[in-house]
Amino acid sequence: MMRVALFLTALTALALTAPAWAQDSQFGIRGLGTPGRWESVRARATGGAFAPFDPFSPLLEASVADIRRVSAGVTGATSWRSLDFGSETGSVRASRFPAFVIAGPMSRRLVLAGGFSTYLDRSFGIVTRDTIDVRGTPEPVTDQVTSDGAIADLRVALAARVHDRLALGFALHGLTGSTRVTAVRRFDDSTTYRTSTARDEVAYHGLGGSASALFDLKADLRLAAWARSDTRLRADIRGRTVATDDLPFAFGGGVRWRPGTEAVVAAAVAWRYWAGAAPNAHDTFSWSVGTELGSLTSPVRLGVRGGQLAFGPGAKAPTEFGISAGLGKQFSGGRGRLDFGLERLERKGTGLTERVWTFLLGLTVRP
Amino acid sequence: MKRLTFLLLLGACTEQVTAPGVCPDFCPGGAIGIGDTILTDVIERDSAFSGYLQAYQGEVLPVADLPGVVDSRAVFRINAMFTRVTNRPTDTTTVPITVDSARLRLNIVRRDTNTANLWIKLYRLPTEIDSTTTFAQLVPAFTDSIVDSVSLSALLASPQIYDTATLRIWGDTIQTDSAGHVLQVAPDFTLLLYVDLDTAQARFVVADSGKVAYGVRISADSLASIALGSNESPDRGATIVWFYTYPDSTAAPVHTTAGRGALFDSFVFTPPTPALDSTLAVGGVPAARSLVRVAIPGLLRDSADVVRATLILVPVGPVPGAPGDSFTIIARPIVADVGAKSPLSSNSAFFSLKTVHLNDADTVRIEMTNLIRAWALDTTVTTAFVLGQLPEAATYTQLRFYSTRTPAFRPALHVTYVRRFPFGTP
Repeated sequence: MMRVALFLTALTALALTAPAWAQDSQFGIRGLGTPGRWESVRARATGGAFAPFDPFSPLLEASVADIRRVSAGVTGATSWRSLDFGSETGSVRASRFPAFVIAGPMSRRLVLAGGFSTYLDRSFGIVTRDTIDVRGTPEPVTDQVTSDGAIADLRVALAARVHDRLALGFALHGLTGSTRVTAVRRFDDSTTYRTSTARDEVAYHGLGGSASALFDLKADLRLAAWARSDTRLRADIRGRTVATDDLPFAFGGGVRWRPGTEAVVAAAVAWRYWAGAAPNAHDTFSWSVGTELGSLTSPVRLGVRGGQLAFGPGAKAPTEFGISAGLGKQFSGGRGRLDFGLERLERKGTGLTERVWTFLLGLTVRP
Repeated sequence: MKRLTFLLLLGACTEQVTAPGVCPDFCPGGAIGIGDTILTDVIERDSAFSGYLQAYQGEVLPVADLPGVVDSRAVFRINAMFTRVTNRPTDTTTVPITVDSARLRLNIVRRDTNTANLWIKLYRLPTEIDSTTTFAQLVPAFTDSIVDSVSLSALLASPQIYDTATLRIWGDTIQTDSAGHVLQVAPDFTLLLYVDLDTAQARFVVADSGKVAYGVRISADSLASIALGSNESPDRGATIVWFYTYPDSTAAPVHTTAGRGALFDSFVFTPPTPALDSTLAVGGVPAARSLVRVAIPGLLRDSADVVRATLILVPVGPVPGAPGDSFTIIARPIVADVGAKSPLSSNSAFFSLKTVHLNDADTVRIEMTNLIRAWALDTTVTTAFVLGQLPEAATYTQLRFYSTRTPAFRPALHVTYVRRFPFGTP
């Protein structure tokens, strides 16, 4: 038991010390950021379709109701992103730990869960060249604006199996985080003009609440529904509020069908009302379909997803389409599980096409 | 293979989040904005003070003959010389020395290469000259006591001599004329002029312990302006080598030499520097400095990052002088504001230099970016600086600028700044 506690503590520390960021996107730079995915590696390898039913995906609280012993899961991702602006191209890469969940039963029917996930990723860096007129003379300049950080969703959830066929869950969400921001202007004529560097740290705060339910229509058919409402996101610099932005109301649902002992199929949909959050924000709809095949000890996962992005130029929301695959491997008699996943995404919007490869690695322990 | 996989994963963890920005669609809200303004009222409580350095403290001795502008002459007094020696170290009695000639060395540190027919004239002066001696007091000596004159232009045009004997004696190539004057180019490209003086030209007076004083004037067809090295610069002052003999009781008289440097050197000029008035005076003799106080506006402290700051000064008039000469102004911040005796900062990173050409009345602009940036960041420092000449007391020239007492032409600060980036807004 001591070893279990130590292991869980170390896992928690690892997850908390790592930056809680998700895969970012150039589409989110002009908006509030890039919304995170509340999905474990298992769920993400199925295109996100398993997220409503996976207790280690911080999407639904009700899904943790069936956890019978203290368990924890952490997700890591490394992505390579190519950018095609038409006239310009670029590539970026980043590693993130987008989600961590820990849960354990409080009683026979009640389960308490906590953890964090990425709510909005705000890590980016852009470099632009321009020639400006200073003192009547054209001066070439290079501007660099960088932001390093994210807004995390800290969740405390309570789930209860109120009936053999029905589980309910509720959660409170504390949105918090900060970004270290830098704006640098370099003049080509560095002898005459000094480089200007502005640095600051923006702190973000917000609150949210969510509720969810799982209902087993039949032994092999489970339905999920969830709703979440977040308040306003406050941005502070040195104690002074510089912006307050609306956060969305979101809801969604899913269905999971288990046609056999070694095959599970699921589908999920979600709506998020981002349109009031920023000038270039859009309401979004997303969908996903996925499957998990094979034995419980080493399943193979496949998935496909599509939908819209919350931020992007123009009247129409950028779109996203992705396919994913993954493997799982249990060890120590089912006490631990490693999940691997590979995801290919293509995002298209006015003026930009992004293509992303993401390698996912997840660890779940059930001491 | 496992190691390779580990290294690949490790490499994948490196971040590269910076990409080309396509604005405004894929850039953050807001932009790096630039502002440019001339602050006409931030210079305040400016005043000029005089007397920091005197002519004898200057690094060089300006010599010029510019009719209608200035007549400047170098003066120096050579240190005393022993008059008796012992034949041998064990002797208890001394014998008198007999000087038979001397060689004077002058170091010409600045000249205009376009000057034609440049003559350097050497005058004998009273050995009583000191820091209080005026131009008028030396007019008689500079009129009737000429000792020698050298055509520098002719010397420079003469062939270079570098035979073995010359190199052995002089150590380097020389140029000479029929009168025996020798010119040598020093390693730092200044000119060394050697003038041989006989006993009539270099009078060794035992009663004066061999002290001699000389003055230097120049003449030329135009641009008659040079500068001689002074005692304040290492090994640049005037020196003299005395050639003398003394009797030997058992052999022929002994021939030997002894060198002496200038104990005092200075320059006198006319017309004298005018008295201070309501303008900002810089340079001249006695050296003048101007103390300028700056009220840094809140804009530069709170919401802007200065990328260039230029002090604008309007001269009262052109600075008279030789056309080829220049005048270097230095702006140095002060550590504490106690008026004329404010201690100057030694942090050269905040010094600002500007060289202006003489006879030019253009507005003077001095780049002071580093200093203004430092002041904008630190509210505790004294925001004032002193305008001075570099080097001080090395020229008769004084530059005067309009002060805040003349609103139309008062000093101003031209500032280019980057506005604070609107972080935190989408």
